[in-house]
Amino acid sequence: MRLSVHDLTFAYTQKPVLNKVSFSLETGDFLAIIGKNGSGKSTLVKCLLGLLKVPNNTIFLDDADINSMVKTTKIGYVPQKADFNIEFPITVKEVLTSSYQGKRDQSFTSIINDLEINRFYYDNINCLSGGQLQRIFIARALLNQPKLLILDEPTAGVDQSNLLGLQEILKKLKNQKITIIMITHHLEFATELADYLLHLDEILDYSFEKVGEGV
Amino acid sequence: MIFLVESLGTFFQDLISSRMVQYAVIAGITVGVIAPLIGTVVVIRRISFIADTLSHFSLAGVCLGVFLSYALAGTGFETYLSPLVLGVVFSIVGTLIIEKLRNYYHNYKELSMPIVMSLGVALSGIFIALSKGNANNVTNSLLFGSIYTINSADLISLIAIAVLILTLGILYYHKIVVLCFDETYAKISGLNVRRMQRIITILLALFIAVFMKLVGALLIASLMIIPVAGSILMSNSFKSSIIIAVIISEVSVFAGLIGSYMLELPTGSTIVLTNIIIFLFIIIFKRTSRSIKKA
Repeated sequence: MRLSVHDLTFAYTQKPVLNKVSFSLETGDFLAIIGKNGSGKSTLVKCLLGLLKVPNNTIFLDDADINSMVKTTKIGYVPQKADFNIEFPITVKEVLTSSYQGKRDQSFTSIINDLEINRFYYDNINCLSGGQLQRIFIARALLNQPKLLILDEPTAGVDQSNLLGLQEILKKLKNQKITIIMITHHLEFATELADYLLHLDEILDYSFEKVGEGV
Repeated sequence: MIFLVESLGTFFQDLISSRMVQYAVIAGITVGVIAPLIGTVVVIRRISFIADTLSHFSLAGVCLGVFLSYALAGTGFETYLSPLVLGVVFSIVGTLIIEKLRNYYHNYKELSMPIVMSLGVALSGIFIALSKGNANNVTNSLLFGSIYTINSADLISLIAIAVLILTLGILYYHKIVVLCFDETYAKISGLNVRRMQRIITILLALFIAVFMKLVGALLIASLMIIPVAGSILMSNSFKSSIIIAVIISEVSVFAGLIGSYMLELPTGSTIVLTNIIIFLFIIIFKRTSRSIKKA
């Protein structure tokens, strides 16, 4: 999926959080968004996900204005921490089957197998480790074959072995020509995978560069 | 013991011969399934207090119906403004008022509920007073219910609402699970969260208004919430939490129906007390099993 952002300015109140941000990505590009806390990374992602209302003609997905698009499952989202109630009794199977908008087929099974979710497929989600939860949210984001995948700080709180596993998963997805946007604080991890870096600054400045050409 | 066996025998004999007992049992089975079904969504979406608010606001509609049936007696209009119809109307209007009032606050959205609840109770008091004693005989059943007094028309309304809730629940099961589990994801995946929330609240309003007659305005919300409060402590999955809640609910309904019949106690109160006793057993069981695990 192609993505282009034109002069995106966004403010929750009067003070803008994003100021005239512009960049574009081609199908299969991998963008890493870096920046300190409060620089507007999560706000930008919420705008891209359609969770925040943006002005017309500022965000285009495959040349269509995001405001005129009917929401579909073409965008997969992996939250840093899902906004779910810890006391809610639900199994991994229920999370995944309820999120899947099709009949359970080979693609469903292969995502479960690739991400090694089988071992805890019938477990209650509240009994899982951070790494296992992250794999479930990646699986959930991939189930409906998204064309754009957005990951919010997937490296946060992940140990070295899980980080390597995550790297492998993202490399595979990149090879499948899925456009990927990832927020991270982990610059080394970002430069290893990303084609572009978007650096957001607290003083409402930003830089958008091809990896290896400036950072 | 002999008294218990004899009373139980009488109950089952009456179940075969008395239409009143048959209607009560059918209504009990229905509420035993539907209350925890809608209750599971209400508890997990953290809107339990809305249920209580709507039952009190719906009570005002029922009281208005009682007043109008006295005031308009003989004009023919009283048939169109029955307490049940006005209870349903008030229940739905209550959801709209709650929604409107919530928009005036950002951090104090829950304030809308005690305001609507107070309005409902205040209006109920006024309508009962205006009925000049004609409402006295129905006030008790409005507040605490009277499952043994329901007629065939009541039973048809109960079953119709139950079928509607059950059908929508089955059709939209996966969407409901997504909405309950992660609202942000629900929005991203294209679910119209606002519309779904509105449908859930309207179904809740319909359920409360129609089923209120069974256990009363003061207790109808507890029938939805207490079985679920127990089941979520025991369940591993969403599906099992619903099944366990329905089992707890049906056991309570039958214990309440039989117990109240035998001991001549209010049925609604007996059902809710049984629910709470089961809930306490679950708490004790959980505590004991946790202590055993630690040891």
